[in-house]
Amino acid sequence: MSTNAVKTSSAEQSLALDALADPTRREILQVVAAGEDTTVGEIAERVPAVGRTAVSSHLRVLRVAGLVTDRRDGRFRRYSVNTRAAAEVMEFLSDLLRISLADLSTADRRESDSKSNGQRRTR
Amino acid sequence: MGSVVLADDQVIDAPPSEVFGLFGRSRERGWLFGATCDEVRPGSVIRLLIPMGNRFGGEVLEGTGRIVAVEPNRRIVLNQETPWRGTLTCTIRPEGKAQSRVRVVAEVPEDALAWLLRRGGGDATDPGDPEAWPVGLLVSQSGPASVFAGASVELARLAIDEVNADGRVAGRYLRLEVGDDGTDPKRGAAELRRLVERCDCRVVITNVISSTFSAIARIAERAGVLLIYSPVNEGGPCGQGLFRFGERPLNQLRGSIPRLMRATGGRRWYLAGNNYCWPKTTNRSARRIIERSGGTVVGTRYEALGRRQFEPLLEDIAQSGAELIVSTFIGGDEVEFERQCYEYGLRDRCQTIALALDEATRDHVGDAAGAGLWSPFGYFEQLATSANRQFIERYRSRVGPCAPPVSSLSESVYEAVHLHALAARKAHSWEPDAVGRALEGGVFDGPRGRVAVRDPSMVDQGMFLARSVVGGLKVHDQIA
Repeated sequence: MSTNAVKTSSAEQSLALDALADPTRREILQVVAAGEDTTVGEIAERVPAVGRTAVSSHLRVLRVAGLVTDRRDGRFRRYSVNTRAAAEVMEFLSDLLRISLADLSTADRRESDSKSNGQRRTR
Repeated sequence: MGSVVLADDQVIDAPPSEVFGLFGRSRERGWLFGATCDEVRPGSVIRLLIPMGNRFGGEVLEGTGRIVAVEPNRRIVLNQETPWRGTLTCTIRPEGKAQSRVRVVAEVPEDALAWLLRRGGGDATDPGDPEAWPVGLLVSQSGPASVFAGASVELARLAIDEVNADGRVAGRYLRLEVGDDGTDPKRGAAELRRLVERCDCRVVITNVISSTFSAIARIAERAGVLLIYSPVNEGGPCGQGLFRFGERPLNQLRGSIPRLMRATGGRRWYLAGNNYCWPKTTNRSARRIIERSGGTVVGTRYEALGRRQFEPLLEDIAQSGAELIVSTFIGGDEVEFERQCYEYGLRDRCQTIALALDEATRDHVGDAAGAGLWSPFGYFEQLATSANRQFIERYRSRVGPCAPPVSSLSESVYEAVHLHALAARKAHSWEPDAVGRALEGGVFDGPRGRVAVRDPSMVDQGMFLARSVVGGLKVHDQIA
């Protein structure tokens, strides 16, 4: 087996699918990303499929995941996208998967090398 | 609870059977987070090596998990338990004549993302429901002690749900806040401060090693926080809001050392463990009991936490002519020590009492290397009481059949939540002083039988000696 036998797929290059699992949350995140310092009420108007309470709980998930930040403004909480921290975590996890698969290809090479060495020794 | 899903795939120049065959074999770095295991079958424990990258501290962290499902040459599903919870699904499909497309999908729940953000120095503290009373839990989700931390968080949640199901306590429902000490006193101190300052916890239950407890005790005392050390420990400063619930070395060893000497005829003991306060204090008790029982100590040696090369120690044990060993290694270190003892051939001449060998640690030691190991604790998952059977059923129905096992170390967290909630109910108050006063004399009839808080330094409880058998730990005898 040649050393450059491992082929890289297009999916690996683009590191696809670093997406949020829940479609409603993706929509909420888009609304937060499009606005600036958005309130729960403003988000609920733009995402009519779910109620205000549901928007709040989705925001909580996004906030705990570090995807949005919030600040208090009088009676309101205003939300904006926390791009840096969240992107770093997502990038780290994506890298981990990529390294994991890269290790597989090296492990595969090591295995086949040791097999062929073994054969040479036994001849 | 929400989660994030990530996926990646790659074409490998080998057929699926060959790719599948590589799983779990590399002891350095392999694929799927460097997973290693003794057997590729559902239920098998796996060890993971996770390179954290510069942004997250740069270390290579050890993780643990379990195989959930296996379809040979096609699919493997793993539950990751530490350092964060999650699921990894790997599918292998033939690609062309001699290649495979390997796809990995990682599902990472929101509390795991919060853990990662904190690890990167960010603030990911959930303000939670302000009406609910925050109960802090400090555990080792990373580092050597994480091997036995797997079930602690889920058991704390179970206890909190049970308490809440009985209605408000002193006017409040409870909620859980979790901190990770990383088996490191400094990180433990920082996490305790976060639990107190950011999460408003005025009670914190800790299932960490005693060097972390020593580092956080004073911080808790100054902050007026009630601190409960729930697992096995060597004793030490108590009172002023500090409680120690776990088994003591004397209670673990008093019954087991003479029994093992009678059972094996051995008299020569070697004391080996990690280099910090619990092993050293434990071995002072061990030496006294051994000498009183007519035995002798032929060697004592301590190794730094995280040290995994035990050859010089194994040679020393072999040369000492020891017939019996007291092991005070913990978590990942205990796993490696026992596996290396076995590989070195020490099992043929030595039996071992291991004081931190709980069910989770035993799973990672494995059946073969586990033969000849004995473990004294106040609780084992296999205890045949109806209270325990029902408790295990409740735990398994929440977390599934492939969840980490329950052990004395993790079950102690469940009891601590109940005992302190009973105290708050009795005191009609969540003020730490009032809860502390009501905690003394508190009694809880739970999975390990009756436990009674004698005073801040001691909980009275039964004691059992278990033996490592094929499949796990089997209770051999009640020793107190």
